[in-house]
Amino acid sequence: MIRWLAVVGLCAVGCIWWIAAGAEEPAPRRPHFTDIAPKSNFTYKTDNNFTGRKYFPQTMCGGIAAFDFDNDGHMDLFFTNGAKLPEMQKTDPRFYNCLLRNRGDGTFEDVTAHAGLLGKDLGFSFGVAAGDYDNDGYEDLFVCNAGRNTLYHNNGDGTFTDVTGGSGLENKPKDVISVAAAWFDYDNDGKLDLIVSNYTAWTPETDKICAVNGQTFYCHPKVYASVAHRLYHNLGGGHFQDVTDSSGFGKELGKGMGIAIADFNRDGYMDVFIANDTVRNFLFINQKNGTFKESAYEWGVAYDDTGNAGSSMGADAKDYDNDGWPDIFYNNLKGQIWGLFRNIDGKYMNYVSGLSHISRLSARMSGWSNGFIDYNNDGWKDLYSSNGEIDDLGESSRQPDTMFENVDGKQFRDVSSLLGPDFVRPGFQRGSAFADLNNDGFLDLVVTSLDQKPRILMNSADNGNHWLLVNTIGRRSNRDGIGAELKLTTGSGRTLYNHVTTSVGFMSSSDKRVHFGLGAEKDIASLEIRWPSGIVQTIKKPKADRILTVTEPAR
Amino acid sequence: MKRTVSSACAILLNILFPLLCAQQPASNPEAILQHAITLHQSGDLEGAIKAYQEYLAQRPDSIQARSNLGAALARAGRYEEAIGEYNRALAQSPDNPALLLNLGLAYYKTGRPAEAAARFERAASLAPQFKDQVTLLLASCYNSLGRYKDAIALLAPIEKDKSGDPGFDYLYGTALIGDGQGAAGGVVIDRILSRGESAEARLLRATLKMSAHDYDGAIADVEKAIALNSKLPGAHARLGELFFARGEIDRARAAFGEELTIDPDDFTSNLNLGVLAKQDQDYPAARRYLATALKTRPNDAGVRYQMAALDLASGNPDQARQALEALIAESPDFGEAHATLATVYYRLGRTADGDRERALADKLIAARDAAVTGATPR
Repeated sequence: MIRWLAVVGLCAVGCIWWIAAGAEEPAPRRPHFTDIAPKSNFTYKTDNNFTGRKYFPQTMCGGIAAFDFDNDGHMDLFFTNGAKLPEMQKTDPRFYNCLLRNRGDGTFEDVTAHAGLLGKDLGFSFGVAAGDYDNDGYEDLFVCNAGRNTLYHNNGDGTFTDVTGGSGLENKPKDVISVAAAWFDYDNDGKLDLIVSNYTAWTPETDKICAVNGQTFYCHPKVYASVAHRLYHNLGGGHFQDVTDSSGFGKELGKGMGIAIADFNRDGYMDVFIANDTVRNFLFINQKNGTFKESAYEWGVAYDDTGNAGSSMGADAKDYDNDGWPDIFYNNLKGQIWGLFRNIDGKYMNYVSGLSHISRLSARMSGWSNGFIDYNNDGWKDLYSSNGEIDDLGESSRQPDTMFENVDGKQFRDVSSLLGPDFVRPGFQRGSAFADLNNDGFLDLVVTSLDQKPRILMNSADNGNHWLLVNTIGRRSNRDGIGAELKLTTGSGRTLYNHVTTSVGFMSSSDKRVHFGLGAEKDIASLEIRWPSGIVQTIKKPKADRILTVTEPAR
Repeated sequence: MKRTVSSACAILLNILFPLLCAQQPASNPEAILQHAITLHQSGDLEGAIKAYQEYLAQRPDSIQARSNLGAALARAGRYEEAIGEYNRALAQSPDNPALLLNLGLAYYKTGRPAEAAARFERAASLAPQFKDQVTLLLASCYNSLGRYKDAIALLAPIEKDKSGDPGFDYLYGTALIGDGQGAAGGVVIDRILSRGESAEARLLRATLKMSAHDYDGAIADVEKAIALNSKLPGAHARLGELFFARGEIDRARAAFGEELTIDPDDFTSNLNLGVLAKQDQDYPAARRYLATALKTRPNDAGVRYQMAALDLASGNPDQARQALEALIAESPDFGEAHATLATVYYRLGRTADGDRERALADKLIAARDAAVTGATPR
């Protein structure tokens, strides 16, 4: 009836205005990013096997995990890859997944084959989630595929074993495409459970060809059926139980993309936000009894503020205004508006894309992976997005990444063009992960782009701001500490909030260590950690500018 | 289209002005009327208005004088006052087709096509001799209201006679394209272009290309149309829509603003600027633009929905509830309205009502999604 409702987007004056305004203020020193991938010898390129025929899954390729697989203190990188189509097999090394070991000197070593992570027997791979599901101190991997999904157990000796068979994760509804996954402990039993976002049921045989006036394009998602996302309960001993139906997840059918994990009402139990492509978004609120209630309408995050379900892609949930409540950010496609929702005291969320200038800044971009990232360590979480259109219909289809800088927790300004040429390299960007790859306290970026080698964007870390990186080790809680809430109070009394999660953006998994930028302040009054177990731990006056490992107390 | 209206105005002035023009003493009411008519015909509109008002102070029931006063006010651009006078005259003579026609024109000029259409329809039914004069105006109203099928029903029977008339071709092409009859619309465009370059044809072709998501091609055509006629009604609004679709919001905003300098009541521009202002959370401006859009298309479900969403966004959930309940009573299949009403009910603590609306929204939107085909770009 009112298709014009879909045409919401907003003014791009923001960038110019802010730059002009900046001339009247002391120019903030901003870090920039430099791609160091060319320094390393690896062959991985994100390969969706596009040869002219447009197959539906090709748009989603190049998941990333930033995780320390060998516990040497340096974040390593894992990339997923596509497959030969229509065979849906990794028939050639160019389709293999890839594990790069961080040597700690600015270079990476391809150790995929030794690690057993080539994925030769997998089909088209999408997202990846890193998490220590068996609490053995080594990060494991879950890889989402068009075929069977895969759980890789980290053996602790540099190798992984595919332990999917018999784990309970090997079965999923026929032909379902799993796009992304997130580890979290929904029942606080100390073991990481798994939520998997599924997109549709698809095979090369059922792939549709879509065209207008002879111009083929990737089909509108609505020509494919929605499916349920799946929740797996970790039973321990490497076994999982599919609790999709009993938990309430099975009631809602969507086209899942990014997953954001947070305790939105701060009742001590983790909730789940799932961005759906052209279907309304889901917010599953944990009922603390093994079930969830889908509450996106109640919270006002099902649609944007005009009832539109855009092409929601990546998702993240963090507290961008430092009020103690995690907010939601998702991106979507050109002509739509990226969604920024502000959490109002854990009761509902207000759509603040307009007020925050996100609408003005985002309308021209087609975003995929995304996330809150305090890239300049000023204590305000900024918004990053990897961008690029779905179809290659001209030079403008390639897009640069964007960084919208948080101004005092109220508004955002586009500083993308100030972050260096490597940051704004146009492309069909897809996955992204945040990690402090050189442990200098400034978050770096890793981005995949279709038919390209990934960019490993090192933060120049040169604005003098201070920081703290917290590595949580759970004891009663899951060993990663995923779900732990951290409140940092600076010497001046400023409070900053964050929580442990690896699920950030789309198809990707970020550094699990919790990052705080402190701005010019070097003194920290306290760090309070509320563990998933319920234990509250306070550390007085921790030193800034270091990586602080915190182990959960016994009680 | 404004040219069509101008010519109709001229015709109506001729109809309505009595030709008696002898000078009379100013103290005699009839002399005052005659003096008013003389001034009116000489182009002294302010003098004529004053004289008509003086006469009506003594002869308040004179339909002729009130009608002439309305015409003078309209000619002076004081349309709202003209509408008041015409309505007062119609209260005395409700079936006067000339009055209805003039009132319709005044509404048309103030960007209220719904009110205008109702008067034109009534005038034509009362006085078949007005039908020819009314047809194009009425078709223009229907196009403005998005009632393309009604416009086609009006225009198709006279295509054979009117084909080649630029005003007719433009209106007919607009109706066909608006109704999704792209191929037939294309024939009309070709017909216009066969007579030479035309701003109207370019605009129509842009509309056609926009419907096929060829935004770049459409923008080139609109820009050509504007180069040919910078005041072409609707051209800047179309350009705004195209920039909007490409995510170039700054340029879209400028184009919509430009359209409003040509036609302050343009529906598309007011609606989109209202949506933009709402997105910027400039609620007073949003309300102002949307109210103007609603004036052009009273009861437009989309605009009313935006108004309700504005209420919710600006912290008035109960006001939003009332607006949405009224809207849904009239448009029960409006999925987005049900979705927003669900959130409103939840916000108001009416969980059961929220659950009901949520289920309805999900069902309606799913049914609509099922209609998406492989020929639907994202």
